Amino acid sequence: MPKAIEIENFSYRYSDGTIALSEITISIEHGQRVALIGPNGAGKSTLLLAMAGFVKGTGKVLIDGLQINRENTKKIRASLGSCLENPDDQLFMPTLFDDVAFGPLNMGLEAEQVKKCVTDALQTAGLSEMADKAPHHLSAGQKRAAAIATILSMSPKIITLDEPDGSLDPRNRSNLIKLLRGLAQTLIIATCNMNLAAALADRVILLDKGRIVADGDAKEIMSNARLMAEHGLEVPAEIHKS
Amino acid sequence: MHHAHIDKFAYQDSPAHQLDSRVKFIVVLVFTAIVISLPRTSFSILTCYAVGPFAILVLGRIPLKFALRHILLVSPFVLILALSGPLYDKTPVTVAFGPFAWQTSVGWLRCFAILGKFVVTMLALIALVSTTRFSDLLAGLQHLGLPKLLTIQLGFLYRYIFVLIDRAHHILQARAGRKLRNLGFKAELRTAAAMLGSLFVRSIDTAERTNIAMQARGFNGTWRTISKLKIRPADYIFIFAAAFFVLGLHFFVRPFLQ
Repeated sequence: MPKAIEIENFSYRYSDGTIALSEITISIEHGQRVALIGPNGAGKSTLLLAMAGFVKGTGKVLIDGLQINRENTKKIRASLGSCLENPDDQLFMPTLFDDVAFGPLNMGLEAEQVKKCVTDALQTAGLSEMADKAPHHLSAGQKRAAAIATILSMSPKIITLDEPDGSLDPRNRSNLIKLLRGLAQTLIIATCNMNLAAALADRVILLDKGRIVADGDAKEIMSNARLMAEHGLEVPAEIHKS
Repeated sequence: MHHAHIDKFAYQDSPAHQLDSRVKFIVVLVFTAIVISLPRTSFSILTCYAVGPFAILVLGRIPLKFALRHILLVSPFVLILALSGPLYDKTPVTVAFGPFAWQTSVGWLRCFAILGKFVVTMLALIALVSTTRFSDLLAGLQHLGLPKLLTIQLGFLYRYIFVLIDRAHHILQARAGRKLRNLGFKAELRTAAAMLGSLFVRSIDTAERTNIAMQARGFNGTWRTISKLKIRPADYIFIFAAAFFVLGLHFFVRPFLQ
């Protein structure tokens, strides 16, 4: 069975010459929950964009065994769902139903199948009652859950999430953790919040200045106070207590 | 941030809300065309026409205060046009209302006709927008033949106008928090230009990220939606009632009032 994500020696520079990612090599198995941690500007979001094929650099990127290129784009979009940092960028349709239906419709599903996908995704995200609402009528927590529902409706094998808990209060953060824990997909979460990473990930990849600094067991890496402090991060409260 | 949405009441449930968006749109379009084409001296019949949109507002449980507030919001644009009438047409004319008669000018008649028609047509428009979800209205317009590209653009406009207002509001708050003295006209103008520039750049960023979100969900340039529109018996009753109202006013009431 092909690996969920396989990246070999991937490097990418911004148009001004700044190195964004340098010789990244990662292999992620299906079903893993990986947190990409690192300070601001470490290259986490760029790496997620590279996985979805929106950033083209040098090296090899394989998603579910498929190399990112023009021919494979449609298959890759169906197997890897990207959830952007700001839900307002993700929710662009006039109603939540239309937004969640957008992906399945583009996959070429029939109307009845699309309706089922939308109903299931909204139910998983706890937004069944909100289907006819306009996105600007939703709260920050609901928008975040709705953004995830737009991905779930496409039933991807892999989900990437960029700072999923941004601007969420503790209750909504806890709801989000519950929602993400209930998903069976491979999860790749880019975050600066170590508590979120500790709550969700079994593996952590620490990035800084576009390079992989550490890759391994989540608890082991995040309990290394010196390593975390060196890269402007902190030991999660849960690990700190234990 | 909370916005005073024009479609604030569009999510209610009432017989007016359940009508098909295409039917409501066509009825409002025809109604508007008839009201605009009324002679400028037909004030009494114009008042009778106002009963139509008023009835829809009542049926849809839309507060009249809400409708009047929105009319007032748009009125400055029409007021300028209407008040120019008395300035260029001062031909004297005698106006009679029951036992009363007084002298005025054609310009003033034109001014009141414009204002009267504006209020009645705006009432109809507000009745349409307040009883129809914007998404249904867009779907209806698309079914009526409006180019898809235009409905997509209207959809994006409706979706992102509130995001843009939020951003503008945040920028204004940031400016107010640091502006401790009057900087003078030139400096204020420079600040305003910088604020507009920032808003513009952020809008481009949003557009780029939205494009990524669309492509990530398989968008390849073809816009696909599921239509939920359906003409029901209530829609035929509404069409019949609207036609009866308009034709009744035109053929039976109007001759008595002229």
